[in-house]
Amino acid sequence: MTFDYHEPTSLREAIELGARFGVDGRFLAGGTDLMVQIHRGRLNPRHVVSLQCVPGLDAIEVDGAISLGARVTHRRIETTTDFQGALRALVEGAEVVGGHQVRNVATVGGNIVNASPAADVVVVLLALEARLTSLGPAGERTIALDGFGTAPGVTVLRPNELLTRASFPRLAPRTATAFLKAGRRRAMEISIACVAARLTLDAALERCQDVRIALGAVAPTAMRARSAERYLEGRPLTDEVTREAGRIAATECRPIGDVRASARYRALLVATLVPRVLARCLERIRFHTS
Amino acid sequence: MTRIPLSLIINGQTHEVLAEPHRTLLDVLRTDLGLIGTKENCLEAECGVCTVLLEGAAVNACILLAAQCQGRAILTIEGLAAPGQLHPLQQAFIDHGAVQCGYCIPGMILAAKAYLDENPEPDENGVREALAGNLCRCTGYQRIIEATLSAARALRASPSSACRETAR
Repeated sequence: MTFDYHEPTSLREAIELGARFGVDGRFLAGGTDLMVQIHRGRLNPRHVVSLQCVPGLDAIEVDGAISLGARVTHRRIETTTDFQGALRALVEGAEVVGGHQVRNVATVGGNIVNASPAADVVVVLLALEARLTSLGPAGERTIALDGFGTAPGVTVLRPNELLTRASFPRLAPRTATAFLKAGRRRAMEISIACVAARLTLDAALERCQDVRIALGAVAPTAMRARSAERYLEGRPLTDEVTREAGRIAATECRPIGDVRASARYRALLVATLVPRVLARCLERIRFHTS
Repeated sequence: MTRIPLSLIINGQTHEVLAEPHRTLLDVLRTDLGLIGTKENCLEAECGVCTVLLEGAAVNACILLAAQCQGRAILTIEGLAAPGQLHPLQQAFIDHGAVQCGYCIPGMILAAKAYLDENPEPDENGVREALAGNLCRCTGYQRIIEATLSAARALRASPSSACRETAR
């Protein structure tokens, strides 16, 4: 295992290096996945292009649309004051990843391009309808996060492109978000299943006006529970209704059984977590609008 | 193989090393600089024995390239207290019997330091969560938690007892 190390100091230079090295190169952000894959011998890049000196990739913007630079760390998300309210799901997704050492360096961009179906923050961003911006020699393009990952570890990002940010629309009034994850223990755990939701209530605070539900670790990629979303629209959010939404979500997910849990158990977790996440959203909307 | 010249600020002292670009900070600390207090184990950022502070933040040196640390301030366990002295965390770990085999302790203490620097008045849950990235197979953690809470009290009572402040 050996490679050349590059430390571009501008986006332009990073893109040029990325384009020059193509599949022989890898961008390095936090390294919590890349370095492990290199140590395991699963990746053997000839060139590693560190993004640590590239300016402009670590910004969080909250005016109008919300935007997270690719190099924003999990720790930054946890400590961002603007995410403590209605966008709380982002904090809840970030704070359950690894230990402090990992969260201090692991980035949003790395989490996304890694395309693990169990990436917690990605599931939250999916519920927020995030769009991604990538930059390559041909310029910038925007890609919906939904559909960005096509299989575990596989995305539609081209080898010469760099993911620069994820952004999503500002939340509507009477909206809250929540995230829950199930694992075998509380720390340093990969999700067995996780669920994020963004819920908007009607003016009477009773019926679902709009909802997005995203599921993690229960399909080859993070996925939206679209049938459950359609079922909820316009319905009053009683316990019975949210439980039914959970049952619907459990039938549309496509989990595998592995060392962490059986497929059946994962589906049961979805059926349980969906109503719990919705209940949290409800509580939060009512708390903040009362 | 090309080697790159690196200037690493370790425990307040600048070290010039020549290292191949793929080598980790952990490897350079242990092999080139003889700073073997930072331990090596999983090499996958799972166990925390290689924890060092990079500009005040706890990081796993096993997945950090030495090249990424060019010009940045690193604190290892060797630099936590002045020679011959103990940092309040080290003293508390001894007083509370928090050390058995000892292999996880340098990383544990540095993770605790990073946390206490930002949270001088921690509660037990906070400490447990802060040390979640550091595995110990001997102690069952309880005494480590007690020692960390006790060190926090000692540091509040006498902040100057932290012999050397980390560059942030």
